[in-house]
Amino acid sequence: MKNDRIKILDGAMGTRLQAMGLPLGGIPEVWNITEPEKVTSVHASYLAAGSDIVYTNTFGANSYKMRDSGYTVTELISAGVANARKACADYPGSKVALDVGPLGKLLSPLGDLSFEDAYELFREQVVAGKDADLIVIETMTDLYEAKAALLAAKENSDKPVFVTMSFEANGRTFTGTSIECMALTLSGLGADAIGFNCSLGPAELTPMVKKLYELTELPIVLKPNAGLPDPVTNQYNVSAEEFADCIGELLPYGLIAAGGCCGTTPEYIAALKAKAVAFAEEEKRTDLPEKRKVTGICSSTDAVWFSEPRVIGERINPTGKKRFKEALLNGDMDYILSQAISQVDAGADILDVNVGLPGVDEKEMMVRVVKELQAIVNVPLQIDSKMPEVIEAALRIYNGRALVNSVDGEEKNLTSILPIVKKYGAAVVGLTLDEGGIPTKAEGRFAIAERIVKRAEALGIKRNDVQIDCLTLTASAEQAAVAETLKALAMVHDRLHTGAVLGVSNISFGLPNRELVNSTFLTMALQNGLTLPIMNPNSEAMMGALRAYRLLMNLDQHAMAYTEAYKDFVPAKADAKPGATTPAGSVADETEAKIRSELGDKAAELYAAVLTGRAERGELLADELLSEGDPMTMVNGVLIPALDTVGAGFEKGRIFLPQLMLSASVVQGVFGRVKEYMAKTGQEQVSKGLIILATVKGDIHDIGKNIVKMLLENYGFTVRDLGRDVDPQVVVQAAKETGAPLVGLSALMTTTLGSMEETIRALKEAGLNCKTVVGGAVLTPEYAERIGADYYGSDAKATVDIAREVFHC
Amino acid sequence: MVTLKPINKKEAALYLGYGKNEPDPVILNLMDECEGPLQEACHPSFCYGIFDVQMCSEERVVLSECDLELTGKDIGKLLSGCEKAVLFAATLGSGVDTLMRKLQVGNMPKAILTDAMAGAAIEQICNDFQEELAVQFPNMKQTMRYSPGYGDLPLAIQGKLLETLSAGKRIGLNVTEGNMLTPLKSVTAVIGLRDITKEEERSRLKDMMDSDAVINAELSVGDCSREACAGCAFAAKCHKNDNR
Repeated sequence: MKNDRIKILDGAMGTRLQAMGLPLGGIPEVWNITEPEKVTSVHASYLAAGSDIVYTNTFGANSYKMRDSGYTVTELISAGVANARKACADYPGSKVALDVGPLGKLLSPLGDLSFEDAYELFREQVVAGKDADLIVIETMTDLYEAKAALLAAKENSDKPVFVTMSFEANGRTFTGTSIECMALTLSGLGADAIGFNCSLGPAELTPMVKKLYELTELPIVLKPNAGLPDPVTNQYNVSAEEFADCIGELLPYGLIAAGGCCGTTPEYIAALKAKAVAFAEEEKRTDLPEKRKVTGICSSTDAVWFSEPRVIGERINPTGKKRFKEALLNGDMDYILSQAISQVDAGADILDVNVGLPGVDEKEMMVRVVKELQAIVNVPLQIDSKMPEVIEAALRIYNGRALVNSVDGEEKNLTSILPIVKKYGAAVVGLTLDEGGIPTKAEGRFAIAERIVKRAEALGIKRNDVQIDCLTLTASAEQAAVAETLKALAMVHDRLHTGAVLGVSNISFGLPNRELVNSTFLTMALQNGLTLPIMNPNSEAMMGALRAYRLLMNLDQHAMAYTEAYKDFVPAKADAKPGATTPAGSVADETEAKIRSELGDKAAELYAAVLTGRAERGELLADELLSEGDPMTMVNGVLIPALDTVGAGFEKGRIFLPQLMLSASVVQGVFGRVKEYMAKTGQEQVSKGLIILATVKGDIHDIGKNIVKMLLENYGFTVRDLGRDVDPQVVVQAAKETGAPLVGLSALMTTTLGSMEETIRALKEAGLNCKTVVGGAVLTPEYAERIGADYYGSDAKATVDIAREVFHC
Repeated sequence: MVTLKPINKKEAALYLGYGKNEPDPVILNLMDECEGPLQEACHPSFCYGIFDVQMCSEERVVLSECDLELTGKDIGKLLSGCEKAVLFAATLGSGVDTLMRKLQVGNMPKAILTDAMAGAAIEQICNDFQEELAVQFPNMKQTMRYSPGYGDLPLAIQGKLLETLSAGKRIGLNVTEGNMLTPLKSVTAVIGLRDITKEEERSRLKDMMDSDAVINAELSVGDCSREACAGCAFAAKCHKNDNR
């Protein structure tokens, strides 16, 4: 036997049980206990047809799905394993695989299940299934859920683990995971084999299997459906022969196990077995594609391959940034997230995340920021910390494959950080410094780089997963050192053959016209082997240098990206005043006239900009007004009157919600400028008072709450936003801690009004004398009164009026 | 694959409280800007099952070969006289939720417009499905779409309805503890099918199909437990939209 590695799996279980009388929507796992003979007979039928491995009837046997089943997970899984084992008794060498399917609930941020709770549900299954021979995690459509399951399996069992995911015809899962992201993430986390099951037939999965073969070193598992189902009859359209023929062609592509999913029967398995036997005997060679050599990292949806220079955005980092420090200390997540969005919009491929600051619990903050970031941006993250426990906490909850920044050559760091990188399958930045500091000469840095790579390889981390940082020293302080950095880069590139990271912007510290130095140095470094510049993607000069480099190096073929970026390029005229735009038609009303006479033309124009929703113009005017006068005059004399005008129009039905929000976003932008100004001039932010907002427990629709929040902030209130699906006790805790005089609660469905009532009761029971305001589509003033709320906010504007009443402003 | 047509912005404006008013050009432009990213984020899909109505009383409906029981007076009234019931589930996919989260951080005006437009999009998927259904069953008249949470049809059947359709596996649609659908821009519904070739049923049918009567009888502000008007078959007629 030449190719006898391939094991034959079984076929469908659920549909077979339905044919035996299980109703649609019934719980198949219960039959492990109530109809064990029937379940065992299905296993036996597959073993008779040639299966080497049968999956236990435990696909949905988790505490969540089984909560109404009348049995515990342990009971259902033990019985499931026993049934399979019983059937296997007659087939020596056959194996029992513990089947673990999706939890039936989406993980946060898509749903309301936390990663940690998901892990716990899977752990329970893994422990209950300890008597199985291997574990199969299958039909996963959320990479995050697959990761939780795989971690639970690896940490609570020493059995082999297969992970298969279900893809749609567009090459992605329901939650947007691509084959690249699956391969990068699951290979790194220590799965023994990965692959596909369900959702499509063998023909549709064929190109995906071939692609996966190129992307992973791991063996592949394949369990397709019997083609595609007819939407009306639910009959599958591929015969047993076609099914086996199609998979037979794929056997050389690294397959280790194959079987069938929905619609397949013992007939399909028998046909497949015949193919596997023939394959084992034959000499035929297939020309297989080459495995992809270049490495990469990924989020759950987007992979970034290190095949050419990629930009790592540097802005999520408090070092030298007053406004960012303040945001970290105040937990101002919106500011941090807005930094992420602006970098991604500007072209960052990867975002560096550093939240280390005295006074901030770095581990807690890192986990929070990573969770929030991966909920809104698709680029992969670089976890930037010196603390092993922070790195581990972040890698654990990261949805994808991250880059760790960093490990250096110091012994204690190599021993503490590299094993974490290996466990979670991340890539890692190696800093060329050690106990002796930064070597002056390139040769010294290279030696450290070599040492880091060796240590990484010894742990099983691949060489190309290490990205060396040769360290940028400031040119104004150590001018001669620039050449050493460049030389070290070239040595790493030529002799070590790893990628290279460099924080580029440091080079110009203390010099005028920093962008000029930065972009020149960037080009020089790229030429010497830099592949991952850490930089500010909002710097047009640096992004421009990179675009030009990619063009000149023939990486940007046919200059597509370059011409796209500059298609509207107009050379700057020497006499053009930056930012001067024509003011739009003024909004002539009494308030505007009053502002013009009291505060001048610019103030009046800002008022008009708020009314007409022109954000850029508003911020520009705000900057000018801030340079001339007192911020509070601008806020109280211009912004609030403008908001009042818009609000009055909204109340009268002349202005609609989108326009109200457009004006609100201008004010939000102006407030951003004010905060920046205050931070820069060291002034304390003046607040009209603190308000807590939350969407109540059980409710995950929070757009209404966010509208209210924005408008309240517009009026100068400080909002502590507790988010959505918030437990009553969390609200009580926040109210206690902050002493906030007003708590706003939002609910969008009648089913969650109960939580609203409960939250109000909890606040009262805790003896807090804060006022409550409630709102949401289904609320009525009568209902608000009935559940004991102090105020009913019919819309965002009304809620602001209530806040002004409570705070007497 | 379900394809999405250009989004009906009038419908979206309705959800935004415009009523009969047309949004101004600034807002219409913004809507145009929102459409591309929304279309890109949408991966609409639906699944359904057709079941024989085994028993239909005033309080509950039992479907054949199915573990799902529909309870309440309203669903009894809706399906009375129907031979079949269609269980239906549709979603725009989780990409829209991600887009919405991003917009809510960076651009609230676009967030609320995109939200309403996504509502119009899912509505359209539902309407298209019902048109297909009409072609598939030319001799059957459809009732309106009736969703868990309308009237007295419990929201709590949401999970069982999805299980029955294997909607998690087929279109990635799930529920939360609070019986909310995730991804958020999703709809589940029951549609009754009645054989109109049966002559004697015709006149009675006419009364039953007058959905305005059903709406006015069953829904008033505060009664409805739908999360939002988007995707709701009542949206155009619901009181909630009168004075928003």
